[in-house]
Amino acid sequence: MKTRFLEFILCMVFILVSACFYGQKYSTRTGNLKFEASMSSFEEVAAENKTASAVLESSKGDLAVLALMKGFRFKVALMEEHFNENYVESDKYPKASFKGKIEGFDASKLSTDAKSFTVTGELTLHGKTKKVTDVAKISKAGDTITIIGGFDVKPGDFDIEIPKLVSKKVSEKIAVTYNLILSK
Amino acid sequence: MFILIEMKMKKRIIITLVFLIGTGALLYGFLYKEARDVSNEASAFTVTAKKLSDEYLANTVHADAKYLNKTIDLNGVVTDVKDSLVIINHKVVCGFDTAIGNPGINKNITIKGRCIGFDELFGEVKLDQCTIK
Repeated sequence: MKTRFLEFILCMVFILVSACFYGQKYSTRTGNLKFEASMSSFEEVAAENKTASAVLESSKGDLAVLALMKGFRFKVALMEEHFNENYVESDKYPKASFKGKIEGFDASKLSTDAKSFTVTGELTLHGKTKKVTDVAKISKAGDTITIIGGFDVKPGDFDIEIPKLVSKKVSEKIAVTYNLILSK
Repeated sequence: MFILIEMKMKKRIIITLVFLIGTGALLYGFLYKEARDVSNEASAFTVTAKKLSDEYLANTVHADAKYLNKTIDLNGVVTDVKDSLVIINHKVVCGFDTAIGNPGINKNITIKGRCIGFDELFGEVKLDQCTIK
């Protein structure tokens, strides 16, 4: 019984130590996220979040991104109000998150020339989760890894209803782009 | 007789114009209302960074109901300055819209900002549109 316990402790120590050595984390608190749902000949429907958080586990290529919905800023105040109150209901669902993996990621093979990688994962917002896949350009300079990419989402996939009255002014396809500059 | 009719017409036109301009202005004011100016708002709460962080760690949903989107006066010690962010007591991240000078690490500070929620990745509460008081 005692040896079992000791074994368990040793195991835990080993896992912790290895996590310390191999778990190289790159992170940022100032990730840039933008989305645009503009329709031609109508007013621009776009917002930007400059304080998204992201953590990259470089040994495995695990990527986690978190954006607080209230952090999305619009040029038009009323649009921001509608976005928060009617569409994403940011009081009820204050954040959007992405958890995924960069396929075939190897930090040691990155260079200042951006390479393309497939990123797949789950995007959660407005209380709904959906799988997203896109191709990101990843580069590395010194201790900084830059990940740039984008994908399209549909409001309907996240149970966000665009009222008929404004459906001509808001695109059914929302283009999301991200620019994450992560450092150690 | 003719002049009288013309006067009536003129009056009508003027009234219609005033009415149209009035509704136009109202509508414009509604559609393009001024953005919120957090720095000039009266703050709803005055808290220490530790208290705000503790409340969020204890129960994010309750803390969100209390603080989310509210203007807060935050007291604490500057532990880090990064780009446009000032980090207070390692626990609260304050985002500034305009570039900030160095407020000085380890300095006691009061920051006014809007609470936008809790960042689970870093375990920090976030404020935006901050100003140093």
